[in-house]
Parts: sequence; structure tokens; C-alpha cells
Amino acid sequence: MTELLTVTGITAGYGDGPAILDGAHLTVEPGKVHCIIGPNGAGKSTLLKAICGMLKIRKGEVRFKGERLNGLRPDQIYRKGIVFVPQERALFPKMSVRENLRMGGFIMDDAHELDRRVEEVMERFPILKERAHQKAGTMSGGQQQTLAMARTMIIKPDIVMLDEPSLGLAPKIVKEMFEIMAMMAKDGITILLVEQNALMGLKHADWGVVLDLGRTLFEGPAAEVLGDPRIQELYLGGKRAA
Amino acid sequence: MAHTLQILILGLALGGVFALMGAGLSLVFGVMRIVNLAHPVMIIGGAYVAYWGFRLWGVDPLVTLPIAAVILAAVGVILYKVVFEKEAKAATYSEMTVLLTFAVAMIIEGALGTAFSNTQRVTSPDYATDAIFIGDIFIPTGQLYAGIVSLVIISGLALFLKYSRFGYAIRATTQNRDAASLLGVNVNLVSMVSFAIGVGLAGAAGALVSFVFSFFPAKHWEWIAILMSLVVLGGMGSILGTVVAAFLLSVIAAFVGAYVGATWSTMTFFLALFLILIVRPQGLFGDKPELA
Amino acid sequence: MASMDQSAVLEARRLYNARLALKADKTRAVWFPIAVLAVLLALPLLQLTSSNYNYVLHLVLYTASYVVMASGWNILGGFAGYISLGHNVFFAIGGYFAGMIYARYGVSTIILAPLAGLVAAVVGYVIGRITLKVRGPSFIISSLALVMIFRILFDNWDFVGGAAGVSLPAIDLPVKWAKVPYYYAFVVMAAVTVYATYRIKHSKFGLGLRAISKDEIKAESAGIDTRFYKTLAFAMSAFFVGMAGAVWGEYLTYIRPNIFLIILVSVNMVLMCILGGKGTIAGPVIGAILIVAFNEACVIFFGGSEINILATGLVMALALMFFPLGIIGSLARSGRLPRILNWD
Repeated sequence: MTELLTVTGITAGYGDGPAILDGAHLTVEPGKVHCIIGPNGAGKSTLLKAICGMLKIRKGEVRFKGERLNGLRPDQIYRKGIVFVPQERALFPKMSVRENLRMGGFIMDDAHELDRRVEEVMERFPILKERAHQKAGTMSGGQQQTLAMARTMIIKPDIVMLDEPSLGLAPKIVKEMFEIMAMMAKDGITILLVEQNALMGLKHADWGVVLDLGRTLFEGPAAEVLGDPRIQELYLGGKRAA
Repeated sequence: MAHTLQILILGLALGGVFALMGAGLSLVFGVMRIVNLAHPVMIIGGAYVAYWGFRLWGVDPLVTLPIAAVILAAVGVILYKVVFEKEAKAATYSEMTVLLTFAVAMIIEGALGTAFSNTQRVTSPDYATDAIFIGDIFIPTGQLYAGIVSLVIISGLALFLKYSRFGYAIRATTQNRDAASLLGVNVNLVSMVSFAIGVGLAGAAGALVSFVFSFFPAKHWEWIAILMSLVVLGGMGSILGTVVAAFLLSVIAAFVGAYVGATWSTMTFFLALFLILIVRPQGLFGDKPELA
Repeated sequence: MASMDQSAVLEARRLYNARLALKADKTRAVWFPIAVLAVLLALPLLQLTSSNYNYVLHLVLYTASYVVMASGWNILGGFAGYISLGHNVFFAIGGYFAGMIYARYGVSTIILAPLAGLVAAVVGYVIGRITLKVRGPSFIISSLALVMIFRILFDNWDFVGGAAGVSLPAIDLPVKWAKVPYYYAFVVMAAVTVYATYRIKHSKFGLGLRAISKDEIKAESAGIDTRFYKTLAFAMSAFFVGMAGAVWGEYLTYIRPNIFLIILVSVNMVLMCILGGKGTIAGPVIGAILIVAFNEACVIFFGGSEINILATGLVMALALMFFPLGIIGSLARSGRLPRILNWD
């Protein structure tokens, strides 16, 4: 199988600070849901930020469809079809839901096509249509997360990277987020998910990646990761969780 | 009654000019999180363009206005490239950046002072000293024209921000710089263009100032606090807020000037600035609006 | 694992700390500032020779006055991290308070200086109570507004002569010796201020200020009464600036708003600290010497004050862009700070 995105031995950190990522590897295969797990400070979010261009890659390289992404700005990487939804959700608080969706297609030159896609997405997410004119900043956490995830569909990207979409949400809402993710996967979008709740993340994924101390410890089918006793003990909360 | 109306009109006329003077400052803060203390001295730069155009070739300041805007915008691009590019990328409030704009203000003031001396200047097209009378009420035409031109320019800016694609990018960057960048907006370009527009607006405002006030290079120190009061009261980064604040404070200042004394008129702005900063410390300047 | 010998670890840590302290002592040369002070105290003896050294005395005195002000500013701006562009307000308060008493009752401002400093400190405390609620750019701007407000107040306050100010009687001494009392006043004040900032920096209070400057929220959660700490820092810095202002008026023989309440005075304080090294003890001293020398050179070579403003702005911009830690800060970071300048 050909890889869509490969990360080879990258080192990265914040500003002049120490390297958070220290030789991480990752292989992303098209159409699959990948879940990255690991303890706090392992470098999970840092990895996504390095891929999308928010952080400078000090060593190693990132390739997307064979093309080197090192040194590109976030806006250039977005144009290639890689979308990143950070923990803070990257919404525009003073813009309406509709305007936020339109921002998702800022790079599109065809305004009519953009309008069509905005409508299409709103049809799929009735809550967004209902609140089309509400300011994003005044919505609940779950609604904001829905908006952020729905917005990724506007440009029909290749890869969507989600950084802890379940953070701070009630269990029922979390379930909805995973449903949205499944819907995106069904559309053929490749997903790269970082999840603090490793168990739940892996259950919804095809492929599992264990990251710790800035390095990739293990990569394999999600079921295998879930079943590995060592990983269970160290990262999945031991027997209780299993 | 007529007296009150007269004061109101004079206040509004002044507010129109202040609105344009503050608009660029607000824009630059919104996009780059830079409090540009050099903005007022750039207005004076624009005023000199209009002054020399009028004095050397008799060109009406209103005609020179776009030229002043373009010249200053070019200065803005250079300043951005040389001084502020690094600061813009950090996009956080920083004391050091404020001091840097302060230093730039001194450099420009010193350069203008060296070139043109600290003599008071004013351009005097015919309308600058004329007035329209409606019954007992008079409206100074200079301030009237300046106010109208100012509102036209600000409306144009508002339309540009609201409806153009680049304006969209500017608003997005103002609200959430990282998010804009993650959605395909080249935020560095947006910063540079916004800075150029902001400084260009200072140039345009300068052309109006040239026949409304007398000016000299060191005059900008007084304006810093006046313009800051508008921008802070209006909610940093909100251009509409700045405009409303300009009218509000100018009218109050006009009444203070009429009933308390002319010297205390400018005090209105300074006290307002001081009080707003204290009463709403986090609200107006505070952190970026957070979601959830 | 559990059997790790705690006392051995503690002992090692204690030794390490002791070694650090010893190293700090070795890299410091206390004799140097004392020697400088001794030379400065002896300097007026030059007037016993046949030439007139008034210009030299003036330069030292002028520098010393800025050492007082910049070091005072440093307590708030350098230690606590609150940049004020309005500290000339306290320069004015000190100057007007002492100047008016001197004009009415003939009490020398040199005697009045500590009292004038105290008045400035009280005003500073009250203002700090209000403005220190905000930080960052908001604080800077509020300090600018403060200057504007005080300028209008002093310009229109008839009791202190409004914009024209008040003339003060000149000291009754021969020209050659007329500067000497002020010279000693400023040199002594400078020495006291520098020593005071040293003591403040090394006190628990100073530690608290540095914590505030690094991360105010963390400092607060660590149990520091940040509001009280920074307000006190504001008052202390106002005290020194006010003291300098007190004597400055009598030295000039007049007090006038456009001497005390011009932005350049504030800018100089800030610039000296940044150029020398914000938050260091020697920084404001080095900064004061350099900026005073620079200003003199500007006046000698270019004459006009406009060029001076341009040049000051240029130095400030360059320092901020390429030298944000200042001379002392940069040298210390790269480990090349000469022992004689390590006053921290």
C-alpha cells in the first residue's frame, strides 16, 4: 500500500525551547483512521503542529504524496489538502456560523461553488443550519467542536488532523464527535487523531500509534495496540481499563 | 438651546477628524497586536505632504490626500519590513514592541523637526476659514469637509473589510491569527498590508489635519493619548468602536471646553483614557477573545 | 530505589549552593564601585587649581542625577517588569514640592530631598494602586496619559506659576563653588540609590518582584501579595525619582512644567535601563553614562535638539531590536561580564 503522508525522524519544539519531538516517525495510509496515543507531554499535539507547519521542523522530514512539506507555512500546507483542527478549535468568535464555514473555503476561487458546499455541509449538520447566523463564540463547546469538524469538509481535504476533539465535552457529546469522525472517514477522508482517552480513541481507529518522550514507540493495527499487554499496562491504565 | 446645538455640532465636526486619525491605529492593533505609538507622528507626516503641496504648488489638501496616503503607506511597508516583521509574527502584546514604536515615533519626529523645524504650520485653503450659517448656528466648512471626507474613507474601509476577500482575511486574522493561518490565509502578508493600510490612513488623516489644526512635529505627543483614548474606549481593534468613541469623546470635550474652560477640553480625552484602562482592565485590552 | 540516602543528597545540594555563592563572590569586585565613588567625592578638589572645572562637575552631576532616576525606574521597570513612560511625573512632584518650600521658606532642597521623595512615593503609591491593575501595553499607555494629565494640571495651576513656572533664588557662592553642594548631593544620592537597588534586588521583596515580572499569576499562586509588592515597588521608584527632582529645580534655579514634564526625561530613564540592562544593578549606571555622553556629543556636533530626538530614537530602536538584554545583560549571558561591572 502506498503511504499518503510519511514522517521520518523529526525533531521539533517551541521557539528556542527544548525538543519535544525527538525523532518521531509516522506513516499515514489513505482512507484510514489513525489514532496517536501517549501520556501527557509525549509530543502528540506537537507532532500535529509540526506536520501542519505551525512549528519549525529542526530535523527529519515530512512528505505528503511524495512532496516535502518542511519549511512550508500553515496556509500553504492547508492548500495541499491537510487540515488541522487544534484543541482550541480555531474558530472566529465574532463571525457567524456561516461565515466560519465560508472561511473554511477561503482558498477557493469559485464563490458559487463555495456557497454550494457551505449549504451542503449545513444540510448534513442541522444544528449548524439552525444557528447559521449565531456568532461562533456564543455557542456551546460541543457545537463549536461540531462546527470546527464540519468546516474541514468544505475543501474536501485529503487528511484531517484532530487534536483531542473530545476535550472538555460531556460523554454524550463525545460520542457525537466520534460519529462525525466516522462520517468523515466514510467520505474517504484520512484521519489523524490525537486522543488523551486512548482506549476510546483506539476503539474508533484502524491504526494505532504510541508516542512517548517525543519518539514513536509502536505502530500497528489498532486492535493489536489495544491487545498488547505492555501498552495496556503503561498507556491504557492497566488491567482495569482492559 | 441654540448654544447647546452649536457646541454639539462643533464636537461632532471634530469627532469626524479624530475618527479617521484613530481608525488606522485600531486596524493595526487588531491585526498585529501592536500599539503603534508612532501613528500620530505619521499623521503629522501626512500633514506635511499636504502642507508642501499647498505651499509650493497651491494644490488643495483634499487633492493631496490620496498622495499622502500612498506615500505614508509606502513608508509603512518599509517600516514593517525593517522593524516590525519579527514582532508581527510573534503576534503577542509585548512591552518591547510598544517601546519600539515609541522609538520609531522619536525618529520620525526628529527627522521631521530637522527637515521642517518646529514652526507651527497650517494649510489654508479658502474653505478652511469659511463657515456655513444656519440661523444662529455656524458650521466651520473646513471641519465639515474634513468630517465628511473622513466618514467616506472609513465607510470605504468598512466595506472593504466586510465584503472583499482580503478584508475577510484581515477580519479573520484579527479574531484568531492561528486559525486564519490554518485555513489558508497568509497571515504575514495580511499583517504587512494591514500595517500599510493603517499608516496610509494616518497619511490621509494628516491631509485633513493640515487645515483643521495647526501642527508641528512635536505635536504628536498630545495626540498619542487622545487617539489612544478613542481606540481603547472603542475596544481595541474595533474600527466601528473607534469611530463611535471619537464622536462621543469629541462632543463631551466640546461641552467641557465650553462650560469648564478651553484648557480642560483635551483633559477629557486623557482622563477618559486613564479611567477606561482602570475600570475595564482586562476587557478592552485584555487577552484575545477566547472561545468557550 | 527507595533506599536512596536523603541526607547525602541534601549534603551534595548544600555544597553545590555554597560553591555557587563562593563563585558569585569571586566574580564580584566590590572595591571597584567604592573606588569610583572615592574618586568622584574627591573630584571637586580640582576647583582648587587655577582652572575652572565647572563643566566636568556639571557632567558628573547630571549623570548622577540620571543614575538616581534610572536606578529608581529600574525597581519598577526592571525588577517588576512594569514599563512606565510617566515617571517624570514624580520628577516634577519632587521638584515642585521642594522648589516651592525653598522659594517660600528658604529651606535648601538638599535637606528637603528625602521628604520630597517621600511625597512622590505617597503619590506613587496612590497612582500605583490605580494603574497597576493593568499590565503590558495598557500600563504603558496609562503612564503616558498620566504625564498628559499632570502637564495640564501644572500648566494651569497658578499657585506654582502655571506654564511660566517659578524662579528660585540662586545659591550664594562664588561661581567656582556654586555647583559643588549640588554635585555632592547628586553623587551621594546616586550612591545611595545604587546601593538601595542592590539591597532590594537581594531581598525577599526583590525576589517577589522578579517572580511578578516572570509570571504574575504564578507569583500570586505562590503566595506573593502581588498587588502590594508591585505598588510598593512603584512607590519606591517614585521616591528616588522624586528626590532627584527636588534638587534639580534648585540647581537650575527655576521650576517649570516644560523642564520636568517633557517626555524626553521619561524616555531617558527607560532608555538608560534598556541600554545598560534592565533589572541589573550596574545597567542603569552604564546606561546613564552612555546616554548623557551621547546627548552631549549630539549637542556638540549637531547643535539642534531635533537631531538629538532622532538620534535618541535611533539608539533606542537599535537597542531594542538587537540588544534587548542591554550591555550588562548580554555580557552576563555570554559569561563575559568583567568582574568590575558585576554589581548584582
